[in-house]
Amino acid sequence: MSENLFAEPNLKQITVWARGVLQNKDARDVVVALTEAAAQEDKYVQAWENYVDLPDRVYVPVRAYAKISPDPIDSRYVYENDAPDVVVLMEETLVKNDKILKGLKEGGILVVNTRRSPEEILNFLVTNGNLGTVVTVDANSMSTAVVTLDGAEGATDATGIGAGISAPVAGAVVKASGIVKLENLEKVVKNPAAMRRGYNECQVMKLDKIEPAEPVKEETAWDLLKRMPFAGTVDSPVSENPGMVTGNWRTRRPVIDKEQCTECSTCWIFCPDACITRTDNGMEFNLKYCKGCALCEATCPSGAITMVPELDFKE
Amino acid sequence: MGKVRRISGCVAAAEAVRLADVDVISSYPIRPYTGIMSELARMIADGRLNAELVYAEGEHAQLSIVYGASAAGARTFTGSSGVGVTFAFEVYSPISGERLPVQMAIGDRTLDPPGDFGSEHTDAECCRDQGWIQGWAATPQEVLDMHLIYYRVGEDPKVMLPQYVCQDGYFVTHILGDVEVPDEAQVKEFLPPYKNHHVLDPKKPQIIGPQIEPCMGPPQQYQRKQAFDNINEVLIKAHDEFARIFGRRYDPFLEEFMTDDAEVVIFGQGAHMNTAKAVAARLRNLGDKVGVVRLRTFRPFPTDEILKRMSRFKAVGVVDNSAQFGISGGAGVLFSEVRTALYDVGDKVRTVGFVGGLGGEMITHDEFLKMFRKLQEVAKTGKVEKRAYWLPFEL
Repeated sequence: MSENLFAEPNLKQITVWARGVLQNKDARDVVVALTEAAAQEDKYVQAWENYVDLPDRVYVPVRAYAKISPDPIDSRYVYENDAPDVVVLMEETLVKNDKILKGLKEGGILVVNTRRSPEEILNFLVTNGNLGTVVTVDANSMSTAVVTLDGAEGATDATGIGAGISAPVAGAVVKASGIVKLENLEKVVKNPAAMRRGYNECQVMKLDKIEPAEPVKEETAWDLLKRMPFAGTVDSPVSENPGMVTGNWRTRRPVIDKEQCTECSTCWIFCPDACITRTDNGMEFNLKYCKGCALCEATCPSGAITMVPELDFKE
Repeated sequence: MGKVRRISGCVAAAEAVRLADVDVISSYPIRPYTGIMSELARMIADGRLNAELVYAEGEHAQLSIVYGASAAGARTFTGSSGVGVTFAFEVYSPISGERLPVQMAIGDRTLDPPGDFGSEHTDAECCRDQGWIQGWAATPQEVLDMHLIYYRVGEDPKVMLPQYVCQDGYFVTHILGDVEVPDEAQVKEFLPPYKNHHVLDPKKPQIIGPQIEPCMGPPQQYQRKQAFDNINEVLIKAHDEFARIFGRRYDPFLEEFMTDDAEVVIFGQGAHMNTAKAVAARLRNLGDKVGVVRLRTFRPFPTDEILKRMSRFKAVGVVDNSAQFGISGGAGVLFSEVRTALYDVGDKVRTVGFVGGLGGEMITHDEFLKMFRKLQEVAKTGKVEKRAYWLPFEL
């Protein structure tokens, strides 16, 4: 009964995933541009950034959110969108993150900034539960990313909205979802030409069959209480910290040519996350924690390490 | 009329500081209030605000800087969050004791542990009895307005006391809301320039905060109490003037929502009350006589207003977004004080305490629904089986 009582059937949710620091601004611009356009249509809107993510870590996955509704928004005081209608990835390798489609509404839309086709993107999805449409847009070729700390922590962003890759991405969102009128989006973005290119040139693929997602059983407060260690202390991690898995920060992966490797261990010394182990079989990388910083590649004296785009690997 | 912008509580606070033409600001970073200071730094860099911004080496220093600056006749502003608020604790009483109308923004954050940056009112409520005016704003618009109103009240010659303007961390500091930023001319009309009563002046040297004999303790403290007793009258007048000039009318003490024929109400402060209102509105559609009372001024606590206006309800549920261990009543400070205020009406109004949203956790629609249902049960049976509930474990 309570669920029906608080239902907001006309509320649309948009969740934008991006890479920390470098894409904070463009991610925020997508949600701000869409909500500002919706406000021109007399909709109730809310745009905000995730407060719990670590926005000051380069490449860490971060999120920005939008809510748009013809009715007043009752569910304003939340940290996340619980059931997005549209999920946007500002960078393609985020597609490997198994949390991106969490809670997606049935028939939901995924928009990815990539040169690849929707079919290719679909291959990388851990689950495509509830997904109805995949859209790809090569925003990087249509505009230049804006990197700034302006507007961080809820402060004013004086650099304007939608000058960077946010413009074509927002255009692609509108093409796939019709969530706002194109002309209203055009009024609020600083680079309307790039926005129109995103709208016109994105590739939209409708999926024939939706595989409804298994509902995830959330832990109750009592479960968490049982799990809570005495006084909140936790054992210090010895080799791996399960509370801070950083492999999903990586967009490129180090690959070693063992023919060329002299096993000098320079990479082992320089790796800031101790992700390299010396084994009988040469140097091994721990990809669960490797952030893809490429210091190993930069310091290797024999040129044996190459950084390869993450999406060249299925796993 | 001013221009409407979609801004965060942090930016709204900074806009108020700019409009109040503050002279000296002291800062030290801590989430979530930091956005206020970064915004003020930008305003100064852009030439929109002519003020001295001093980067302190910690919160104790922050408060000491505005203490001195205020004594020298400057209008001052500072702020903090969580453990930053408590680190500065020593300086709060001297500032109010010296009757310096310093203003401080608090973007609520839990005290450690838990080591997180979510909102809890615990930080600000620790300072509740230090002789400062204290209130909670629930939206960015109210943040801007409350900063202006509190400067006027604190600097009133009958008052001359410092003020905390509190806003929930993240829920208000970081979520954007529609804010009408008023014109400078309107603010000039509302807020006269700050005039200190005993400006530090090399030509007329004086000691502030000197050591005194015990016999001078009672008169000095009584002076501060008398000033505190004057606040309500000045607060009411300031709100009337604010409504006249800016066209926005707030009740100085209690905002009532759907209370006209309400039998049970939720009472609390801050942004969570907006969720409570949304739940009350849905329950009204089902015919339930429920409402919400939101406390705006926490210090001075409006005991008489509560007694006068809330004794008409059958049951009052008090929501505390704070952890006060071992407090009378077993919930939080709001519950304890509302019970005290309603003591004189005896069994006529039943009170129940709810502690929720600790560590910055949301208080959900469902939780408010459960609270309303519990209150309706209490109103019907007239029995309070359990005085206080810690959410989500006990309800």
